Amino acid sequence: MSNSTTVPHPLASSADLVTPLPDFTSATYKDAYSRINGIVIEGEQEAHDNYQALARLLPEQAENLVQLARMEMKHKRGFQACGRNLKVEPDMDFAKRFFEPLRNNFQVARGEGKVATCLLIQAILIEAFSIAAYHIYIPVADPFARKVTEGVVKDEYLHLNYGQEWLKAHFDQVKEEIMAANKANLPLIKTMLDEVEKDAGQLQMEKESLIEDFLIGYQEALSDVGFTTRELIRMSAQGLS
Amino acid sequence: MFGLIGHSTSFSVAKKRAEQLGYMEHAKGDLDTWCSTPPQLLETFTVQSRTGKEISGAYIDSCFLPEMLPSRFKTAARKVQNAMAYAQKQGFSITALGGFTSIIFENFDLARFQKVRSTLLEWKRFTTGNTHTAWIICRQVEENAPRLGIALEKARVAVVGATGDIGTAVCHWLQQRTGVQQLLLVARHRGRLEVLQQELGDGSQILPLEQAVPEADVVVWVASLPKTVELNTSNLRRPCLMVDGGYPKNLDTRLHGPDLHVLKGGIVEFWRDIGWHMMQIAEMERPNHQMFACFAEAMLLEFEGWHTNFSWGRNNISLAAMEQIGQASVRHGFQALGLRDLVTTPVLSAS
Repeated sequence: MSNSTTVPHPLASSADLVTPLPDFTSATYKDAYSRINGIVIEGEQEAHDNYQALARLLPEQAENLVQLARMEMKHKRGFQACGRNLKVEPDMDFAKRFFEPLRNNFQVARGEGKVATCLLIQAILIEAFSIAAYHIYIPVADPFARKVTEGVVKDEYLHLNYGQEWLKAHFDQVKEEIMAANKANLPLIKTMLDEVEKDAGQLQMEKESLIEDFLIGYQEALSDVGFTTRELIRMSAQGLS
Repeated sequence: MFGLIGHSTSFSVAKKRAEQLGYMEHAKGDLDTWCSTPPQLLETFTVQSRTGKEISGAYIDSCFLPEMLPSRFKTAARKVQNAMAYAQKQGFSITALGGFTSIIFENFDLARFQKVRSTLLEWKRFTTGNTHTAWIICRQVEENAPRLGIALEKARVAVVGATGDIGTAVCHWLQQRTGVQQLLLVARHRGRLEVLQQELGDGSQILPLEQAVPEADVVVWVASLPKTVELNTSNLRRPCLMVDGGYPKNLDTRLHGPDLHVLKGGIVEFWRDIGWHMMQIAEMERPNHQMFACFAEAMLLEFEGWHTNFSWGRNNISLAAMEQIGQASVRHGFQALGLRDLVTTPVLSAS
């Protein structure tokens, strides 16, 4: 079909879709990067700790989970190198505060032995969010960070898949628990996003596309786990509207 | 399995539809909510050909809204890419890009971005459906003009949006297969118009919109009537057939009068009802068996097992391909939407 009035002219519009790279050396960029870099480093550390904790909850899966935890430490070191490469000191105090509510929820669930909640938080929510953020970051990253992040994103799919498989195998028993965990934790992702919207914007990462890409991964994982489209739309809307 | 990618015709329609489906957060949500909503598979259904063959399909709402243009063009482009990636991940053999989605793909040259996250889009799984749309529009001219007493061999036919993918195909078909007396070519891009006029030769003329429409017995719109342009309907020829093949199809709200017949272009009717609800979103008059011809193309490709991007890129539509898809269209039970409630007038003369 064709329309002449609303769609911008092809030649004018096509160039605009490619975001120009930011100035990686500017003070504004480095300032924003210090917090974002802190978040990814802390995120990988938390992921490491969470998979270690899950290994204790699921002794029969311990070997796999410890391996996942090791991978997260490797990612952490990669992102630390990205900061050093740009001569940026990551703001770890900010990053620790940033993860606090999600960390608390994970620890409470771990204390109660709620495996499904722990997996939803770490292996689905955080992994889906990381994958979305890394994908959006890669085209606007500096060349060094791009290479590191491309390597990381491949591993993260494995982690998402791990949580997916376990939840799928136990779906009937844990469906209600997943829904409750979604309701309690999805709004935290929104709050966290709001908190870094400005800094992410400095890195040319738009909040709107971060949310959409995250939801795509999140819904895809939960659909594979066993939820219907109708349930997924409602579950997603609960936290992000 | 085949896929159809579509969207609501407006933000208000989308909200109303979300309410009907029980998605209250989206019904109450602002445009930002929709901008960050991923594509959704809203419905699966089966379709039975007149030959007896049955196929399954699914409707994916891209969550694109026309209100996102022109300022949120990145969002619009993302919606199309995400819906395509989704369709491919579902394993659909062929998926049609409906409504604005194929226009966005073409205008933003999204072929430059084959990778969407971890998915490398396979173009052969997608079709714009433009070949079937062009063929249907030509059938609508050929079948309905004579019913109004317009003899096509003596008629002047204006094509608005003549240099686009559908417009160019329509021009070539009407000249070579229908034999209209003269084609009046209207488009924004002067350079492309001149190339087209050279291809078509003597039987065609380049004219501005305001001049072409009053001189035409038949007007094929494959671009919308610009909001800034007012046409004086008293100057138009009578009878006059207008085939509204633009998007959205709202020409009848702006042009009306005695013996001025506006027909929704590029719409087909299927030989039997389909148990789906998606065409209510597209505001079809008879949503159970009417649909966009571009959607029908995906069905035809699935019926025939032609799993290829039958319509793709700009100005690649051949008359042979139009004929091929046209024959399949008839075989499987589609027919072009025609003017209703008309007593057929004997063909006299158009001039």
